[in-house]
Amino acid sequence: MAGGSEKKSSEDANDLQTFNAENLQSNMKVIYYSRTFLSIIGGVIAGILGFTGLTGFIFYFLIMAITSIGLIAKAKFSVHSYFDSWNRIILDGFFGGLMSFVLFWTFAYDIVHIF
Amino acid sequence: MAEDLVLDTAIRDWVLIPLSVVMVLIGVLRYFVSKLMRSYQVPDAKIVKEGQVIVRARNLRSGANFIPSKAFRARRVYFSNEENGLLFVPKGQAQNAQAQMFSDPNMAMDMMKKNLSMIIPQTLTFAWVNFFFSGFVAAKIPFPLTQRFRSMLQNGIDLSTVDVSYVSSRSWYFLNLFGLRGLFSLILGEENAMDDTQRMMQMSGFGFDPTKSLSAEKDSLDIVQHEWALPKFEQRAEAVLRKLVS
Repeated sequence: MAGGSEKKSSEDANDLQTFNAENLQSNMKVIYYSRTFLSIIGGVIAGILGFTGLTGFIFYFLIMAITSIGLIAKAKFSVHSYFDSWNRIILDGFFGGLMSFVLFWTFAYDIVHIF
Repeated sequence: MAEDLVLDTAIRDWVLIPLSVVMVLIGVLRYFVSKLMRSYQVPDAKIVKEGQVIVRARNLRSGANFIPSKAFRARRVYFSNEENGLLFVPKGQAQNAQAQMFSDPNMAMDMMKKNLSMIIPQTLTFAWVNFFFSGFVAAKIPFPLTQRFRSMLQNGIDLSTVDVSYVSSRSWYFLNLFGLRGLFSLILGEENAMDDTQRMMQMSGFGFDPTKSLSAEKDSLDIVQHEWALPKFEQRAEAVLRKLVS
C-alpha cells in the first residue's frame, strides 16, 4: 500500500536527493492512516483482553512495531526508494496514535470489565 | 490492591456512549459546516504573482545543480538583483503589505469565522458536560496515575480515598477530544480532522507570508553553492544500468 511512488532515490556516489514531493507526501499519508487504524484496533483489543498499566503500553509499542514491520515489508525492504529517511517509517505518527489508542483502550476496558 | 468498584450499567449507557457519539457527530457537523461556509475570496493578483515568484525561486534552488553554472548564475541575478530583481522588496513597501493584509476586512472576517467555528462547539460541549455529567465516577482508566492528577481528573468527586484511576466525565470529555482526532482523519478523509492548532498556525502564518518570505527566499538563493552534477551523471548512469542488467 506504499503508493505507486516513482521517485529517484539518493545515490551513495553523489548526494543527489531527488524526490517526487507528491508521492512522498502520499506515502506519508499512508503511514499515518495505517498507524491510526491499527492503534484504534489495538486499543479495543487491549481493553477487551483486560490489560492494565504498563502491559497496555507495552502492547501499544508492540502494535507500532508490527505496523512498522508491515510497512517495511510492503516497501519490499528498500526503504530509501519510498521514503527519505528511516525515521519516517518507524517513528512517524507514533504519538498521534497514542491518544487514540488510550481512548479506545479505556472505552473497551470499561465496557467489558467494569460495567 | 485497589478494590474494584462496580459501576452502574446505566452510567455506561447514558454517559460514556452518548458523550462519544455526540462528539463524533459534532465533529462531522463542523466539517460539513466549514465546507459550506468556505467563502470563495477572489485572489488578489499581486499576492498570487508574488507567490508564484517564490515558487519559481524555490524550484531554481532545488534544481540548481542540474543546470550549468553560468545559466544558474544568470537566473540568480535575475531574481536577486538590487534594482529590478523580482525578489528584492524595499523595506517601506514590505511593511505596507503586511498592514494591509490585516486591515483587509475579508481576511480578518475569515480568520474570525474559522476560529469561532473551532472554539464554539468545544466550549458548548464542555459546558454541557459539566452541567449534566458532574458529580459521579464515569470511567476507570486502565493505567495508574500519580496523586497529582487527582484534582485534574476527579474534579466532581469529593472523596479523596477513591483510586485516581476512577475519573469523572470531564476527563472522559478530554480523552475523547484528543483521541477522536485520529478517528476523524480516517472518516472524513484527507486529514480534515480537528487539527485546530495546526489550522490556527496556518491562518496566522498566511498573513505574513508574501512579504517576509520574499526576503527569506532571496537570502537562501544567495547562499546556494552551485555544484554541477552532470559530470558525475555518467558514473551514476553506469551504476544504475549495471544494477538493472545484473
